[in-house]
Amino acid sequence: MIAWTGRKTVEGLEFAAAVLVLGLRSFRELFSPARRGRGEVFRVIASQILFTGVDALPVVGAIALMLGLIIIIQAGITLPQVGAGAFLAKIIELTLVHELGPLVTAFIVIWRSGTAICTELGNMQVGQEIAALEAMGISLIRFLVMPRVAGVIVAMVCLTIYFDFIAIVGGFLVAKVHLTIPIQVYLEEIEGALSVSDVLITVIKSVLFGFTIAVICCHHGLSVRSATTEVPQQTTRAMLHTVTACLVLDIIVSVGFYI
Amino acid sequence: MSEAVITLDRVSASDGDQTLVEDISFTVQRGEAVALVGSNASGKGLVLRLCAGLEAPASGTVRVLGADLASATEEQLLALRQRVGFVFAKPALISSMTVFDNVALPLRYHAVVPESEVQERVLAHLTECGVAAFRDRMPADLMLGVARQAAIARAMVMDPDILCVDEVLLGLDADDLVRLRKILEQYRRAGRPTIVATINAPTSLLRVMDHLVLLRDGRLIAACPPGEAALVVDPMVQEFFGSQ
Repeated sequence: MIAWTGRKTVEGLEFAAAVLVLGLRSFRELFSPARRGRGEVFRVIASQILFTGVDALPVVGAIALMLGLIIIIQAGITLPQVGAGAFLAKIIELTLVHELGPLVTAFIVIWRSGTAICTELGNMQVGQEIAALEAMGISLIRFLVMPRVAGVIVAMVCLTIYFDFIAIVGGFLVAKVHLTIPIQVYLEEIEGALSVSDVLITVIKSVLFGFTIAVICCHHGLSVRSATTEVPQQTTRAMLHTVTACLVLDIIVSVGFYI
Repeated sequence: MSEAVITLDRVSASDGDQTLVEDISFTVQRGEAVALVGSNASGKGLVLRLCAGLEAPASGTVRVLGADLASATEEQLLALRQRVGFVFAKPALISSMTVFDNVALPLRYHAVVPESEVQERVLAHLTECGVAAFRDRMPADLMLGVARQAAIARAMVMDPDILCVDEVLLGLDADDLVRLRKILEQYRRAGRPTIVATINAPTSLLRVMDHLVLLRDGRLIAACPPGEAALVVDPMVQEFFGSQ
């Protein structure tokens, strides 16, 4: 038991170190002035933003609308019954903007793009495409990892803002049939409850989640050796690790913000 | 005066605890065509990767285009790889790109020429390898032979000093073989690039080669011109060249 715990701890630390190194190297590449591969890298970033961001708009919009509807209806009906109707905007701000917006968007991005990144890189490894890129003198960090990290971060920030907007406005419009608050009053309350730091914390979480998702999924995709059976195994591990990492980061940022 | 572009000196390489090639020494001169000949699992693929600087030796010295691979930095290795074209046994074309974009990738990434010249050079190499008609196809739609020819075009598009081809016969039909032999003969006459290829079956391509490096079980049996190979006293070599 002690040996197992020790082994798992060492494996965990090695994994964290490998992911951190990959993340730092891709971060360094992002700000590298090198001209090499710039056009190709921009193409990969653009296609990553298109896939992770633009293509995900319908599903993010639908989930945001449904979650916004549920929370606004529950809060809008229950809070006045206990004499806390004035807190509706604060509850929406805390649950939707602070927590659910970044977290649910991160889960959608993990489910759609994280799996895709891990599977794509894993299959490239099996097909010797990664080895071919190295043989051509093409940096894997610059050509494969950094554009995915940049693309997912940009998409995450945009999707989270979109999620919050749809959840707050769309959710209210749909819930309007059950509520008596005029939209003007509702929006004013929301505006009053939201501060610059609220928006900032949402953006910080989105950037951290996007970075974490892309780096962990790239790490697992590139960890595939030569068998196709390793691809789904690594993808499953990537899902587990990204969900856990995002939850841990969410706790750290939220606790840090309130302390 | 000849110049050594690849030198292996008492090289051994391993995978974990298992030694795969041992005590290999030979030299490839500029402009030569050299075949690494041996059966499957003879270690010729690993020796080829050592020659291209894609693997590090466990012991011994590998010098490619004047660079000692043991002391080369990552930047030097990246620069070296632009001068060495490598064709894997699998075509290894990037599956999300068309054949044209695959061949154009090293030119575009390394930004060596303007886009107008990229178009010209890629098309010229695709035509030379007989796959220009497939320029807009995705790799998944290609037969193995066509994909391998496209991979050769991609390896050649940077105008490398050395061309390394693993399992050169893989996926080639009779027409492909004739075309490839003509291309190799043309390169050999031009003295550029230096060619190193692995071959695991008797073929007419051996006649195009200047030297053969004969390998068995990860060890060097002999390095000699094709005409002298049949004289090498070794059961594998006798069987190989006896059946030609």
